Amino acid sequence: MLKALLPAVFAAFVLLGGPGGPQKQGPPKRAPGDAKPAAPPKVTEIDEAALKSLLGAGAGRARPLLVNFWATWCVPCREEFPDLVKIRGQYAAERLDFLLVSLDDPSDIGKAVPEFLSEQRATALPAYLLHAGDDNTAINLVDPDWSGELPATFLYDRSGSLVFKHKGRIKPDELRAALDAALKDKPQEAGAQK
Amino acid sequence: MKKLSAVALLLALSAAFAAQAARATRPATDAKAAVAVGAVVPDFKLPDADGNEHTLASLKGPKGTVLIFVATRCPVSNAYNERMAKLAADYRAKGVNVVGINSNSTEPAAEVKQHAADKGLAFTILKDDGNVVADRFNAQYTPEAFLLDASGKLVYHGRIDNSRNADGVTTSDLRDAIDATLAGRGVANPEVKGFGCSIKRTS
Repeated sequence: MLKALLPAVFAAFVLLGGPGGPQKQGPPKRAPGDAKPAAPPKVTEIDEAALKSLLGAGAGRARPLLVNFWATWCVPCREEFPDLVKIRGQYAAERLDFLLVSLDDPSDIGKAVPEFLSEQRATALPAYLLHAGDDNTAINLVDPDWSGELPATFLYDRSGSLVFKHKGRIKPDELRAALDAALKDKPQEAGAQK
Repeated sequence: MKKLSAVALLLALSAAFAAQAARATRPATDAKAAVAVGAVVPDFKLPDADGNEHTLASLKGPKGTVLIFVATRCPVSNAYNERMAKLAADYRAKGVNVVGINSNSTEPAAEVKQHAADKGLAFTILKDDGNVVADRFNAQYTPEAFLLDASGKLVYHGRIDNSRNADGVTTSDLRDAIDATLAGRGVANPEVKGFGCSIKRTS
């Protein structure tokens, strides 16, 4: 009986990727100080309507959603990037959606924006560039209390409610506390198995 | 005698309580009461980049006043330098005065002065150390504009126009608001937002 099961157990072992378990996703490990950037990511241009559907205002979602609005010309945006990348690494993708929305000029979509993301090794984050017909509409649909200053970071919980916002450079501890609170308030243990 | 001191104590206590209550409520209401569209903007006093003090009252134009929160290092604000200089020149003749306010704690007065000279910003730029005036206006980004009519009432708040790139401008929100005000009409869109650099406040 046990012998009959062995091939199946072996097959499962191979399918799961051997002793290391499922292959981890994400950039390959590099030695500290190795500054070789990852391949530039694709940045998708969106308008207000696409932004609205990305945010999924009011609708339930599988995971909380963190959105960072930034631009390559914005100094505090650039300064906070390593913290954002670190936070992406600390919260598994199956637990948290995390999007980047650039307010750079659309002409920068092919070069300046992806190159900066690559330098920052932020290539695992879905990246968009907002080219709104009207910025006023876009700003108000994210948050009527937002004036449009960059950077700005918003966290929506599973119900689609805006539960945390921060304008200006993020304070990582404050953001982690908000993320932990949003993740605690969950219907099932998602992403528990590794 | 005992009765009298009890009354005195009671009076003193209630006076102290009243003072405490006033202290507790007054700053809260002041801080919340950011200048709103439709309300008269209270006077304030700030130094310019040379250190000379000006009151808002002394800088008002006879037909209106534009206050723009500006920066020396923000690429968005800098993209508007020529447009702001032209705005000031165009409307000075029509009785509307343009005033810049730099509230960035990272940009010292000497830098503001040099920047204005280099970029041809030929209007008064005030230095708002401690971002007191930015807080009063709830100004958050540069360049963010506030238009006061001849009576000092706030009639427009927001972006200068819809495009950082001067070639892409299709709506000149601030100019439209000034023109409407000069013509005695109401401003069609009194609050229009735009993207800009966050004002670097003293933390």
